[in-house]
Amino acid sequence: MLSITRFVLAAAATLLFTGFALAEESLPAQADSRDDVFQLFRRHCVSCHGEDGNAEADVDLVHLDAKSLEANSELVRDLFGVLDRREMPPEEERPLGESDRSRLLSELRGMLAQSVAKKSAGTLTPIRRMNRFQYNNAVIDLFDLRCIVFTLPERTMREHKGYFEPASGKMADVVHVGNRPLGKSQMIERRLAGVAAFPQDLRAEHGFDNQADHLSMSPLLMESFLTLGQSITQSPDFTEKNVGIWNHFFQPPDASAKRDNPQAEFVSEISQRLDRFLGRAFRQPVSKSLLERYVAFAFSKIESGTSFTDAMKATVAAVISSPRFLYLYESASAENDYALASRLSFFLWSTLPDQELRDLAESNTLHRSDVLKQQIERMLKNRKIKRFCDSFPTQWLQLDRLISAVPDREKFPGFFFSKYRDSMHMMLEPLLLFETVLIENQPITQLIDSDFTYRSKLLDEAYGELATGKVSVGGNGAVTVLTFQRVPITDRRVGGVITNAAVMTMTSGTQRTQPITRGAWFASVIFNDPPDPPPADVPALEEKPPVEEEQMTLRERLSLHRERSDCRGCHEQIDPLGFALENYDPVGRWRDQYDNDRQIDSQGRLFREHEFQDVVEFKDTILREKDRFTRALGGHLLSFALARALEPSDEIALDEIVRSTVENDDRMQSLIKAVILSPSFVDQAPVSNPLETLPVTP
Amino acid sequence: MTDHSRRQFLRGIGGSLLALPWMKSVARAGSAESVPQRMVHFYVPIGVVRRGFFPGESGDVIPKGNLGNVMKSLGKQNPSFSVQPLEELTPTMQPLENFKHKINLITGMDRTFQQGTDVHAQCASCYLSSAVPYTVEGTAWPLERTLDHIVADQIGGQTPFRTLEFSCNSHLDNKESIYFDNISWYGTGHLAPSIRDPRRAYDRLFSTNEVTTLRDVTSLVLEDARSLHRELAVSDQRKLDEYFESIRTIEKQMDRLSAMKAELAKVDFEEPPEAYLPRGEYIRLMGDLMVVALQAGLTNVATFMVGPERWDTPYMFESLFDTPRSHHQMSHNQTKMIDDLLKVDRFHMEQYVYLLEKMDQVEQPGGGTLLDHTLITYGSGLGDGSTHQYNDLPIIVAGGGDRVKSGQHINLPEGTPLANLWLTQARMMGVDMERFADSTATVDSLIA
Repeated sequence: MLSITRFVLAAAATLLFTGFALAEESLPAQADSRDDVFQLFRRHCVSCHGEDGNAEADVDLVHLDAKSLEANSELVRDLFGVLDRREMPPEEERPLGESDRSRLLSELRGMLAQSVAKKSAGTLTPIRRMNRFQYNNAVIDLFDLRCIVFTLPERTMREHKGYFEPASGKMADVVHVGNRPLGKSQMIERRLAGVAAFPQDLRAEHGFDNQADHLSMSPLLMESFLTLGQSITQSPDFTEKNVGIWNHFFQPPDASAKRDNPQAEFVSEISQRLDRFLGRAFRQPVSKSLLERYVAFAFSKIESGTSFTDAMKATVAAVISSPRFLYLYESASAENDYALASRLSFFLWSTLPDQELRDLAESNTLHRSDVLKQQIERMLKNRKIKRFCDSFPTQWLQLDRLISAVPDREKFPGFFFSKYRDSMHMMLEPLLLFETVLIENQPITQLIDSDFTYRSKLLDEAYGELATGKVSVGGNGAVTVLTFQRVPITDRRVGGVITNAAVMTMTSGTQRTQPITRGAWFASVIFNDPPDPPPADVPALEEKPPVEEEQMTLRERLSLHRERSDCRGCHEQIDPLGFALENYDPVGRWRDQYDNDRQIDSQGRLFREHEFQDVVEFKDTILREKDRFTRALGGHLLSFALARALEPSDEIALDEIVRSTVENDDRMQSLIKAVILSPSFVDQAPVSNPLETLPVTP
Repeated sequence: MTDHSRRQFLRGIGGSLLALPWMKSVARAGSAESVPQRMVHFYVPIGVVRRGFFPGESGDVIPKGNLGNVMKSLGKQNPSFSVQPLEELTPTMQPLENFKHKINLITGMDRTFQQGTDVHAQCASCYLSSAVPYTVEGTAWPLERTLDHIVADQIGGQTPFRTLEFSCNSHLDNKESIYFDNISWYGTGHLAPSIRDPRRAYDRLFSTNEVTTLRDVTSLVLEDARSLHRELAVSDQRKLDEYFESIRTIEKQMDRLSAMKAELAKVDFEEPPEAYLPRGEYIRLMGDLMVVALQAGLTNVATFMVGPERWDTPYMFESLFDTPRSHHQMSHNQTKMIDDLLKVDRFHMEQYVYLLEKMDQVEQPGGGTLLDHTLITYGSGLGDGSTHQYNDLPIIVAGGGDRVKSGQHINLPEGTPLANLWLTQARMMGVDMERFADSTATVDSLIA
């Protein structure tokens, strides 16, 4: 009874809000509407996808019936995607009329919602090993260390003189920063002596270095973890001075106090200390038997003559080698908030939950949306959010590609200064923009087209024509502590993460720009729609044009090199994105002409719909499609938060994430909140009723 | 004096001397049966220039640009089976001149590409598993337990390390995924990560750290793993199995290392420097570490990537070019870069030959050298860096002593799976198996 009421209500709500025709496709009519879908496939798609043995992109729409299509939610999602972005049918094929397109889209959307709902189990966040960034943070917090464990180049931007104050909701106008991988001496930090880091985990195919399927365990790595347990606790720096929990954990209990039963009290003291410690390390209360094992371990050390402090050190060395510490996981049985606390904490802080999160988990109130919202706000204001800034933006923007970008020295001598490269400064600009948008809770459209940026003097001058000329502080040739100043932007050719020198340089070759690389970067990062890896049988362009091509523009040269029709599908999608940025040379400076004096042609069409003449109009068209960017960034965040690639069910969650973010003026913190409150993040159970979560199609 | 003259020295990095650790044992227990068989795979990324490597192809057309969709030879492949004595070596193979009698060139072997993953990523990561496409569920990769681990199940049981994985990848940027940097896998999705840093390799093999104190830690955390296992969903349990396996492996490793302690103390190998090493020196140092591990009985099975797949980032090939170069980018530009690419191919071959030389200098009890007791296979997952072909791969099998017929060029008929060679090797190593991945037969011409 209840479920019928819910069904009707939900269906009514759908009609009311979306205006797209789900109700009229109620069950009897469904068969017909599915027929329409297949008719449209036959008319527009099958000549490349199914007929005569053609199955481009491995898609066969001939040998497929309604049932198998509905069962294949990945395919439904992909079909929806290519239609939604107007990638298919390709330009040279018979065009798909607008009404047919929306019909197909709404049908596919309906199928997606249903197929997702039919799945018996929701997509659990998979078990995963901590990566070394998380391990570093978790160990620091577990012992309340006053230094770091290891210095990690993947934490690109080093903070000097403490500018980062998220609680203030305001970024300082002048900040002092360093570049760990590219700056001078930036890897020299106060840390535990004698502790060696385990190797960096490589990025996953689909993005981040925290993805479950890429983080496996091997004897080699396990050796590192076991050795780390020893070397951390044996480090000469692991002392009262550096270890915050020293006094109430490693310090021997007061021996002078009078005791009735010294031995029992001693054991009980150890037991109490370890109970608290294990609960923190393992992110949930520990069972009696587990506690007893660790107590017995510590006690046996003491009995064999080890000092109290050393026995406790030996015990915690084991704790941080335990799978309950090293792995993040959802317990299949537990119906509690501890897992949520851990997920939340590792998403925003890359570390263990703190006391407050643990308390809320204990009272089983964390999942309540009012409590959760409050916690997100608190966490966003805590300095630990710096760890999010240390991991997410660099990886999202793929900025580590800049580390190895070395333009030709003769052609771009200005890129080099003393023994260093301008990229040391460049790399920090988008990171500072991201931090500002986050802690000032600005609209994420600032990441596309900002009205301010942070520049150092050196960086501003390197921009040439695009310099703001407003950087007044800091020296010119700094290589350790770099001074960046917030400057307003009036020239819309600069600003945002898409046109800055860092991205322009890392997506170029040594001699020339690479519009396809830029386009692929853009599609992946800004629209979360990475092109397939290039199986293009097209010769890569030579860095220097051969004689017969010397008078051509890059666009002409590329089209000359791309004659096959089956490449067009992808290139129609990514080329306009790359060519829109052609005015930026291989080190991010503005140019109107190529070296051969040919005019640069950056015009194009976005999603085969919006014409643009230059990069400023290009930014306008992206802003017009800003909800796609919101969805993309939301998707990146969700994948980062859940440590896995997105699945069809997440599309439904993303619909709601976008809606809620739009309602809140596209603000960054609202987006993060919406990601956390989404069923994909909160519920580790099946999506309940498809109609309740049915999407709103713009 | 005789005692001393029998002593062999290996020249280590920076001219230091690496003394053979086995001299005393030789005198005592010199029977051939006690000498283990070993297996090594030497992986060359991004294929080779066919004209320089394959006999009879020196006049073939040079592939133009990136022919990523071709995935087959441009020239005509010899379609029929033949075995000929290996006489004149092609330019890329010339460094092997002194080893002609100890190697086999094998041409005509193929892998089948499974659509849906990057061609470079798959050619490396699936090189040693070569599963039948679409048979491994829940993954885009035809990737299963790789040959080295299957063989180690047979011959790695008594050494401290079942296998060792080396990759000469000195890149600092985190650009490519694990699939580009690893040919060794415990199983689908379960990576056997390689060591890139010679200092880490040295520490692992010869560290004097007392590891026995870890024993009580491992039994404690194993108990945690057991209780955790019961709380997890099935798919997560499988992931946690990696932890169990790792701990158990380490426990065995600790026992065996401590049993070998006295022997290992005799190994005289200078600790690798922290300083930057030119590419060739770096590769050879990694090679020295691998050879000494085989020689000292630390392992019987090793994989060695002379560089990672693709990884566009240029780096210095000190002896070859003045500026940093990207092997991958050059491979897409063969028409122009062919001479430089041939230098890279030859450079990689020289590193392979360096290992053969090193191993051939190590005498084994009962006669023969370490090389004679090792199957060491040179190969790439691509038949050419431009065509990205998975067919007619460049393969050289060296060593194996009198168990192998050597000095031949074996050409296998078109369509012969690479897995046939892997099956042959697995059986030679004593693995009792009917079929390996997509194998159809063994390469009998190889067996003496």
